[in-house]
Amino acid sequence: MASLIKCLISDSPKPADSSGEDIFRSIFEQIQTGIFIVDAKDHIILDANPNAMSLLGRAKGDLLGNSCHEFICPAKCGECPISDFHREVRNTEQIVINSNGEKIPVIKTVARVKIHDKDYLVESFVDIRDQKKSEERKVALIAFMNEAVMRVRKPLELTRQSLQVLADQAKSGDYDAEDIRMELQLHANNIAQMVKTLEDLSEQAVKEQGIKIPEHFTNFCIGK
Amino acid sequence: MLEEEDSQLYLMLSEPGRVHDMTMAVLKKTLAAGCIPLIITVNQPYKVMVKTNAREDIGQEKFYVVDAVTQYSGGTPTPGPQVRYVTNPSNLTDLGIAITEFLKQMPDAKKCIIFDSVSMLLIHIPTATASKFLHFVVNKLKLSDISGIFLCVEKGLDPVILSQMSAFVDKVVDFESEGK
Repeated sequence: MASLIKCLISDSPKPADSSGEDIFRSIFEQIQTGIFIVDAKDHIILDANPNAMSLLGRAKGDLLGNSCHEFICPAKCGECPISDFHREVRNTEQIVINSNGEKIPVIKTVARVKIHDKDYLVESFVDIRDQKKSEERKVALIAFMNEAVMRVRKPLELTRQSLQVLADQAKSGDYDAEDIRMELQLHANNIAQMVKTLEDLSEQAVKEQGIKIPEHFTNFCIGK
Repeated sequence: MLEEEDSQLYLMLSEPGRVHDMTMAVLKKTLAAGCIPLIITVNQPYKVMVKTNAREDIGQEKFYVVDAVTQYSGGTPTPGPQVRYVTNPSNLTDLGIAITEFLKQMPDAKKCIIFDSVSMLLIHIPTATASKFLHFVVNKLKLSDISGIFLCVEKGLDPVILSQMSAFVDKVVDFESEGK
């Protein structure tokens, strides 16, 4: 990496000096973006910054000298989207798998650079787990609200209408006291059930806050 | 509606204020089409339904009922050859069994199911569960070549569930514009 940075600096219009290299090194190590430097020809990882290592949960020694297909790219060997298929990877959402097997959503960009006639791939990615969690949370909240409307508001409108019909039935004299009692009890039970549904929904919303979306709500959201 | 084609499945929508009119209109049309209706009610106890229908000159011998609310509302089930009771509307297993058994037991004439109503069922079970149950009922009807009319309040279904239901049924009918 040191030599690559030196190359980058020496190719830049400003004069190369050790302070310039230090600046690049410092940026490379401190930036909150995972960066891999990959040999474009054989796809060997030449360097990885601390953010990339932390995201993958691997030490530098585990990564350097290995193929990028094994760690950061879902494509098979010989099917590299950049060097084999000449596609552009720019701010695309992808998944990387860390050492614990956890799938991490990232926004990835691959830039091709040529230094002293040698091609390199600079792969950079940003962890978007928090963003994803917040999106899922938003979808779940919309689902909670939808469910509350469907299971409470509409039935309440129907209940109001049914109570009006019941008032007419009571006036007609065609229905006995037990009929009226049964219908009143039915509506009372329904309203109690609606209150319980609202309590359950808010309880679940609070319980699941920031942790995990209930499976049935996820299914509901995606229409399973 | 039912006169047009045999063994069709409909999702019928109305404004909340017109639901009772829709239920009665559907029952009358079904009978006029020579179809024996099996009403699945999560809305009105059987005893009350019999009286309401009698006011419209529809005798209790003309329809079959699976009643999921009499026991739920503390009423005493009155046994009869054309009625079956389920303890409460969320008891989908018993509801499914009662529907299946009744369809077998009903005369071999043209028959259909009237589900009254999908909106009220949602008081008792989550929309995803309701969708699965209704899918089960629709499949049963399709396999048995029986018509079905699912009554529902307009905008009383989540768009996703409405879209699923629309895929299950042959036609979505707006009571205000087509059902009268």
